[in-house]
Amino acid sequence: MAKEMIAMLLAGGQGSRLYALTQKLAKPAVPFGGKYRIIDFPLSNCVNSGIDTVGILTQYQPMVLNEYIGNGQPWDLDRLYGGVHVLPPYQQASGSDWYKGTANAIYQNISFIERYNPQYVIILSGDQICKQDYSDFLRFHKEKGAEFSVAVMEVPWEEAPRFGLMVADETDRITEFQEKPKHPKSNLASMGIYIFNWDILKKYLVEDEADPNSENDFGNNIIPNLLRDNRSMYAYRFSGYWKDVGTISSLWEANMEVLDPEHSGINLFDDEWKIYSRNSGMPGHKISPEAVIENSMVTDGCRISGSVKHSILFAGVRVEAGAEVEDAVVMGGSVIKSGAVVKHCIIAENVVVGENAIVGAMPADGEKGVATVGSGVYIGDGAKIGPNAMVNNNVKDGDVQW
Amino acid sequence: MVNTNTSALGIIFPNSYDSLVPDLVSERLMASIPFAGRYRMVDFLLSSMVNSGIDNISIIVRKNYHSLMDHLGSGREWDLTRKNGGLNIFPPYSEKNVKIYSGRVEAVASILDFLKNQKEKYVILSDTHIAANFDFHRMLEEHIESGADVSIAYKKEEIPAGFKNIQVSKGDLYYTLLVKDSRVKRIFINSPEPGIQNVSMNIYIMNREFLMEQVTGAYARGYIYFERDILAPRLEKLHVHAYEFQGYTARVSDMKSYFDENMKLLDDANLDGLFAPSPVYTKIRDDNPTRYINGATAKNVMVADGCVIEGNLENCVLSRGVKVGKGATVKNCVLMQDTVIEDGADVEYLITDKNVTISAGKTLKGTDTFPIYVAKGQVV
Repeated sequence: MAKEMIAMLLAGGQGSRLYALTQKLAKPAVPFGGKYRIIDFPLSNCVNSGIDTVGILTQYQPMVLNEYIGNGQPWDLDRLYGGVHVLPPYQQASGSDWYKGTANAIYQNISFIERYNPQYVIILSGDQICKQDYSDFLRFHKEKGAEFSVAVMEVPWEEAPRFGLMVADETDRITEFQEKPKHPKSNLASMGIYIFNWDILKKYLVEDEADPNSENDFGNNIIPNLLRDNRSMYAYRFSGYWKDVGTISSLWEANMEVLDPEHSGINLFDDEWKIYSRNSGMPGHKISPEAVIENSMVTDGCRISGSVKHSILFAGVRVEAGAEVEDAVVMGGSVIKSGAVVKHCIIAENVVVGENAIVGAMPADGEKGVATVGSGVYIGDGAKIGPNAMVNNNVKDGDVQW
Repeated sequence: MVNTNTSALGIIFPNSYDSLVPDLVSERLMASIPFAGRYRMVDFLLSSMVNSGIDNISIIVRKNYHSLMDHLGSGREWDLTRKNGGLNIFPPYSEKNVKIYSGRVEAVASILDFLKNQKEKYVILSDTHIAANFDFHRMLEEHIESGADVSIAYKKEEIPAGFKNIQVSKGDLYYTLLVKDSRVKRIFINSPEPGIQNVSMNIYIMNREFLMEQVTGAYARGYIYFERDILAPRLEKLHVHAYEFQGYTARVSDMKSYFDENMKLLDDANLDGLFAPSPVYTKIRDDNPTRYINGATAKNVMVADGCVIEGNLENCVLSRGVKVGKGATVKNCVLMQDTVIEDGADVEYLITDKNVTISAGKTLKGTDTFPIYVAKGQVV
């Protein structure tokens, strides 16, 4: 039986701008919002939109991601026919290749897509925080009789030059594509989410692969080629919360926005559109008599004896008595020892911040740095980590890093 | 063969001692009583069995078992979705005799055909009124070493207060043991003895064929209770080994003990005793993390995921999805899942069942010795 639409999720990105956080894992596996990983958002969107077949294209540091996805059961994607499949580059009779670009990654998996013989393929990106109903996007695509549609967000004109922009007419038909232009003609930024008619996508992938000068990239090659041929291309306007969490500061900011769903628009508390994840299975969190907790999110397994303000604590975090945590994102299993001060920063998984150590600082004098400590790092007693520091190696007792 | 699976299967009696907590089981059974925030009583036993390598577990239900079926599903969360063994739920078998079983003999008799076809050499029988992190593997090893016919796990403790109200007419008995050199010399039934006793945990290990043989014989004679009718009269002939469990236990024997055992978990030492060394599994609900909104305060509480706290919490155990409104004060309470305490309500010494709502501004206070219980779905 053919599937109407299947999803291909591009999860190969290294996320090099997240430095310390992506040394050992791919960007889509980066933890977010207390108990999620970034990839939970597109996967949950798929399931909630009725898409039951998802290919995940991985390449960089796939181990954590592979283990996390497993058989797809947490997202209800363990299916007899379809379900979730992790697709790394593989050896073929004619030789093997890493994925050269986003288009090439899909090209190398044409046979996977053909097993399901879909009418439509939706291309998703694994590095955005967004709740989106893809079935509404598909309805639009069908209504317009499109061969290709792209989800776009209206962005402020002054920020438009940072994006790939779609110039569209009054019927939303795309007439031009501008990649990070100096003089934007549109403020409709591409979200990197596309729906293709499968026959069209396949034709252009094959053609693109045959072109030795191509970068095999959707934005730089496939979309310009579609435009050149005057294909039926439409821009689907999305107006909900959308955030590319490609940098430390945007990741930190998006986490902080979770604490304020009334204003930020990212609501993780929506029973109608649940975000699924692999659960920690720990008992409820504990707040001891001497602890202070204000305006924060706390996940199962945490033990709090210190002070936690405006922060997000992932599963199993410990904050010992006398420690202070403020404006911080502290990922699973990390321990903040007594007297330590952790502010305006991101602490990755399984970090130990030693007694009386200081990590980060509240913004002052135009300094807005988000200190970042990579996973598994040990910060020695009394050490000091400055607000712009990226720490990837253990820090000795009393050391100072800026 | 790789030595991963213990050669024992588990048989669980989920309705034992239902009569001691009539309010809590009005729409469920002992096994599915919510406990320790996000868990149900049966989770501790199932997880302990699974963590001890037991992956063939049967639950012989008597009545009110819909909530248990809903909780367990296919058994996936406990890793019990297996081709061989896994989780089996035996509903009352109404074809042969419409009667609902009352004792273990009748219960086991109803699954004799199933037991005959199993491969495990040993069986482990257990109730669900005790939450513990129990190493069945260790008990089994000791059982094999002792060469006993039957092993009984017991705990040295005072007889739980709730047992003193036990109604023999409802079929619930409790047992204390006279132990000498790790051998059970006498089994006392419903003994009122004060002070520390060897209180049976109603956990038994024996050879599968031995169990089948004994139950077949006893059932034919119209016997009901495994302990009273099979073991107690024959302690001279049978070698009954006593296995002392020294770990942490939370025993539900009445509403008061239910409240106290929840509260005891606010002490880290007790919490670690119950949740270590092995993890405890439960049904996944995919709740978001708990959110403390501006103005909320919390002191000495255990809170599961999915709660939204805007009011003031002190000395409480909250299950998943509880909402506490602005200016509400919640002290010394056990709140089960999806309880809503509306703005400005003031509650103390309260046990709320699932989906209870305490309306805005209401005051409701029980006492230390007599916590107020609000039944499932009630709006106060």
